[in-house]
This record gives sequence, structure tokens and C-alpha cells, in this order.
Amino acid sequence: MKMLIGLLLPDAGTISIDGRTESIHDPLTATALGIGMVHQHFSLVDALTVWENATLGDTGRLDPSATRDRIGEIAEQYGLVIDPDKRVGDLTAGLRQRVEIIKCLRRDPSIVIFDEPTSVLTPEESEQLFESLRHVVAAENRAVVLVSHKLDEVLHATDDITIMRQGRVVDQRYSTDADAPTLARAMVGREVSLRSERAALGIHSPDDTDLGGTVPAKTDAVLPATAQPVLRIDRAIAHDADGVVALDEFSLEMYPGEIVGVAGVEGNGQRALGDVLSSLLTLSSGTVAVDGTEVPTGRSGAMAEAGIGVIPEDRHDSGLVLDMTVAENLVLVDQSRAATRGLIDQRRLNAFAEEMIEQFNIACGGPNAPMWSVSGGNQQRVVLARELSQEPKILVAAQPTRGLDVGAIEYMSHRLETAAASEVAVLLISSELEEILELSHRIIVMHSGRIVGEMSRAEANFETLGLLMGGTAA
Amino acid sequence: MTDLLSAVYEIFSSESTYLNGALFAAFLAFAATGEWVAERSGTLNISVEGMLLGGAFAAAMGCHLTGSVAVGLLTAILGGVLIAGVQAEMSHRLAADQFVVGLTLNILVLGLTGFLENEIAPETTLAGRWEIPVLSDIPLLGQALFGQRWPFYILYLLLPLSWWLVYRTRWGLELRSVGENPQSADVSGIDVNKRRRQSIYYAGLTCGLGGAFLIFGHIGRFEDTIVGGRGFIAIAAVIFGGWTLRGTLAGCVIFAGALSFRLSIQGLGYDINSELLQALPFVVTIAGMAIFAHRVRAPAALARPFIRGLR
Repeated sequence: MKMLIGLLLPDAGTISIDGRTESIHDPLTATALGIGMVHQHFSLVDALTVWENATLGDTGRLDPSATRDRIGEIAEQYGLVIDPDKRVGDLTAGLRQRVEIIKCLRRDPSIVIFDEPTSVLTPEESEQLFESLRHVVAAENRAVVLVSHKLDEVLHATDDITIMRQGRVVDQRYSTDADAPTLARAMVGREVSLRSERAALGIHSPDDTDLGGTVPAKTDAVLPATAQPVLRIDRAIAHDADGVVALDEFSLEMYPGEIVGVAGVEGNGQRALGDVLSSLLTLSSGTVAVDGTEVPTGRSGAMAEAGIGVIPEDRHDSGLVLDMTVAENLVLVDQSRAATRGLIDQRRLNAFAEEMIEQFNIACGGPNAPMWSVSGGNQQRVVLARELSQEPKILVAAQPTRGLDVGAIEYMSHRLETAAASEVAVLLISSELEEILELSHRIIVMHSGRIVGEMSRAEANFETLGLLMGGTAA
Repeated sequence: MTDLLSAVYEIFSSESTYLNGALFAAFLAFAATGEWVAERSGTLNISVEGMLLGGAFAAAMGCHLTGSVAVGLLTAILGGVLIAGVQAEMSHRLAADQFVVGLTLNILVLGLTGFLENEIAPETTLAGRWEIPVLSDIPLLGQALFGQRWPFYILYLLLPLSWWLVYRTRWGLELRSVGENPQSADVSGIDVNKRRRQSIYYAGLTCGLGGAFLIFGHIGRFEDTIVGGRGFIAIAAVIFGGWTLRGTLAGCVIFAGALSFRLSIQGLGYDINSELLQALPFVVTIAGMAIFAHRVRAPAALARPFIRGLR
């Protein structure tokens, strides 16, 4: 998508428009070629008014009244009514998208790209949007590209469908030939290379090879029925930085010793869930309680103090300080192991670090090696060692194996299972279904910030999960 | 105590207080207007101090070489824009840290002009005084606003022009969008760093004019201490004013009032510790910032460098 509108240059390959090969090196060229895009993350400036935003990127004299008139025309033509003098920052997400669409259409593009357009819309708004899309295609001879992970939407609103996974086209078919289950299967797919490699290495017995088949149930997932929940999230509502609802009445209970897998297409609230449990995000309403005691959300360190350890989604961004040493990173959360009255005791620090390095098999040049000199898998081990050494009651592992090699993945999985065995509640947030099916005792599926499905490991299979992730009831 | 009160009364009823106040306020306003434009585009341009001093020195040199105030005005603009050029190209083309560049520039210009002043000792004249008929006869404020040397009146053109540029032209719209959300502006096809460079050049222009005003409209000769930290007060005025031109001007007037008050009370022979008095304008600035700064909304991308692809 970014390539088509000139934000990213292709390393190889060509783009042809109307049979001519074009090179799109910036957004202006894209506009000139008749490509318009409605962005998922809005390309709007909150502090400006609707008409100011609509005219942004045009050239020539600024003409407020003509711009307002044009907005009025488009509004009438497509049924996208809006007040041109409102500040964009004051509008709801649905209206903001309307501005985005108007901004795109007023340049009269021949190709319109919609990137996840309904992720912020209500069902009625979506319905309305697709009606106007149909109109745009049929009456005005434009081409519309709809990027979406919602199967319903794709099936109803399009003529033909291309399924992409990890930058590759995996399937192409006419909408009339497709149904939800086939799409779900193609979309979820299997990480064939990775998992079969592990199987070949004899690290782990391969799961059954049938995509739609049920994965055999785990026998060790026995939960004491009388146990008290160690973590209880009650009707949590949270908004992301754009003001879009990220968690919508999200409720979850976790018990000691279980691994709960959170499945879902990325961007459906998983990140917000992790952020809330890392004290990075404040809830608009709802509560989080650990062992029955409510924990204030959004206050730095409160969650960690309450006994929640986090392996963050992006270890460079929020897991480690790359320019500090391995030892320093190991005590970032709690310095009391190496410090007395605020002074760090170098010998105790080193002793603790060496113990951790040995216990977690961290390959590095000793406690004083700078973090950046350590490989990705070992960096992740440092995070893991630090969080587990806090003896948490709950461990949140967000995409814990992303970017790791096979051996490191195996190690991480093993550690998570060991942690669960020692009565830690593990919340595994992952976009890899394989991982979730392999490790979890219980699986929840998130869609648009809500739990849309919950099942035990025995009930889960790729197809049901895929359909739930696509927002279609199984 | 009654002594002091009567002195304060005397100060407020004396024309010279307002005259001095207007001179200080005008100088701040030249600088703050440009700084305001630069900040709206997302640059917290701390090299104002250097731009002012460079502009003042260039003004003095222009006048020294040709004997003409008008030429001095032009060289002042060149001087201000030259320093703005270093800031703009370094921070918004070569992606150097804008604060490091600004700090370095301020120190560099201070040293350089001090040295050149010693070597050359430029001779300058004051510009002619223009008394605007009728208006200059208004009691108390007439002389302050309409009886100044002519470079003062450039401000009366510069302020509406700046406002119009920022709020009523496409350039201004793009500039504001770049200061609020550079990623969105980029996606819309606007060259973010170019707009930011241009706005710094504009600050260079107004600071150059400010420096020239200081030489020809107020002091009459160049010294390396004539700006004396007031570039930073101009930055404070923009923040104090909540990034609107009106508020920025109000900030300039208030801070200039404190400067003028200090001068007047000393002139009356009151024995107040002079170091303490010197600090007064800065105390007022800090107090003003403490009270007002958190109530206003800064341009969302202020002081954040723009690199395409990073979100």
C-alpha cells in the first residue's frame, strides 16, 4: 500500500498503470497518476478544520469558499454529509474517516485504496460506506481496492479477492467462488517452514497436519475448580492515542498455573491489553485486580509491584535499554537486589547477573557486556530472566517469540510452560496461532477490543479461530 | 512604603515609561513574530538570540560602509537570514539536533560579532524620528506608539503580514499542518522539512529587522551585549502567548513592561539593589510562564524532527 502512494520505494519489481510502467517516488506523483488512499491511521491534522484538511496537499491559492462548496458537492453525491468548519480533532472516528474519504475523492482519483476502512466504524456506518463504494465503482468507473481482515466485508463488498500473508499473495479468487471458511484457512495458513523445521530437528512432535483438524488436547491442563482468580479484568474500556476504542468492555479472569492464549488479527486490542498490564495505558473505565486487590491503571510501576511481569511486544522499544549493560538491564525493574539505600553495589550486581546468566543460559560477554552486543534471542532471555526473577504471579508474554530463531523459540516456549507449572498465570498474546495452540490451556479470541470467543484448548482448531478472528461467528 | 507607591504612580504617569516600554516591546515583537512562525511549523528555534545579534551587527556594518540606514536594514535582513540558513539547513536537511545547532550558533555569533566589533568598530547613525500627525499627540501613549524612529513602524506592517501568511495562505496552512502532524502532511504531499526550513528563514528575516531596529531605532551603536538574552524572552513570549500571534504580542508587552519599569525606577533614584532589579523581567517571565504555559496547547510536533517512515 505504501508503495502505491509513494511512501515506500520498491527494492525490485515494477508498478504499471494503464499499461505504462511508472515509478512512484512521492505522494504527489501518486496523486498525479490518479491513485488516492483512505488511510487506516488517518492522515488528518487534528488542529485544522475539515475544509483545511481537505485542501491540504493541493496547490494554488487557498480558496476557502470553493473548497467548502466542493465538500458540499461530494457530500451530496456520496451521502457523506459533514460540516466543513468543524475542527477535525472534535469529530468522532466515523466522521473523521468521512473527511479522509472526501479528501481523497475530491482529487478525482481513478484508483481508490481503502485501508481497513471499517475498523473505526459502526456497522451502519460501514453499510453506508460500502453502498457509496459500489456507487463509485459502478457509476464512475473507478477501481477500488479494499484492504480488510474482516471476512464478511470482503465477501460482500468486493468482486475479486486476493489473500496476502507476510507480504506474499497466497490465493486469488472471485468473490462468488469464495466463502468464509476457505478464506479463513488461506488467511491463517501455517508457518510451514518454521514448524516443520522444528519437527525435522526432532525438537517437538509435529501437530497434526490437517489445517482444519482439531489439535489434540493437553492433558496437563487441569485447573482446580476452587481456585481464586489471580487476575481479574472487569469491563475494561481503553482508548488508543487516536481516541479509537482499543478495549471495549473487556473482561477476563486468570487462574494460577494456566496459560491463556490471546488470538486475533493484530490491531484488535491486544496491544492495549498488554499496555494496560504494563501500566502504560490508563483505563477509561473498568478495573484490574490482582489477587482481589484493585490495581490503579496507568501509574508507572503499579502493575509490576502488584506482581505482573511483562515480556513486551517490542523488546527494543520497551523491554531493554540497549546502551546499558546486561547486568544493569537485569535489575531495571527492581534494583533492591543490587543496591542498598539507593547505592548500587557493583559486586552484588555482578553476582546477581552471573547467576541469571547461568540460570537462563544467556550467551553474552559477561555481566558488563553492553546490551546491544547481545543477539536477539539472548536479549529476549534477559527480559525473561528479569521478569521471572521478580517471581511474578502473572506473566504477560506479548509476541514473545517474534523475530527469534527456532532454538530460541523452543527455549521461550519451554520457559513459559515451566512458569505455568510453578503456579504463574501466563497470558500469551500472539499473532501466531500455532504458538497459541501449542502452549495455551485456554484460548480467547479478540476482535475490535472485545472477546468474541473463548474455548478450551481441546475445542480449538484453525478454522474456528480463523473465523472468529475475521469477525464471523463460527 | 508610601514613598514607593508614589514612585510607582509617578512611573505609570510618566510618558518616558511608555516610550521605553514600546521600544522594548517592539524589539521583542520583531523577534517573537518570526519565532512564532518557526514554532508553528514545529521548530523550537533557540537561535533567535544569535539571529538578533547577527542582524544588529549586519545592520551596523551596512550603515558603516554606506552611511545609509536603508542599506543597513537590508544587510540586517541578510545577516539574520544567513544565520537562519545555518540553523535551517543543519537541522532540517542534515537532521542535526535543532537545539545543539541553536546553542552553538548563539555562542558562535556572540563571539564572532564581539571580535569583529573590536576590529572594525562600525560607526552608525540613528534613523530619523517620524511623528505621525494627530496620533502622536495622544496623552501618555502617543509618543510611544506614533512618535518613534521610522524602523519602528515596520512592525505595523510585519505583524498583519505574518498573521495573514500563517492563517490565510496555502503556505501558512501547510506550515501549520507540518507543525501539528508532519506524517499526515507528508502523506498529503507536502515537503515537511522544506516548509520548516522556510519558516526558519522567515524567523531570520524578522530577527534581522529586529536587530536593525535595535541599532537604528533605539540604541544607535553596536555592542555585543545589546541583545542581552532578550532573544530567549521572545521565545518565552511565544509560549506565554499560547502559540497565537495575539498572545505572543501580549507576552512581549508584559515582559517589556517589566524591563521598562526597572529602568524607570532606577531613573528616579530609588536605591533598590540593581542586580535584583535586573532580574525582575526574567522573574516576571518565569512567573508568567508558570501561570499560563500549562493552559495552552503547543503545536503537536513542536521540536520533533521529521524523518519519513518513522511514526
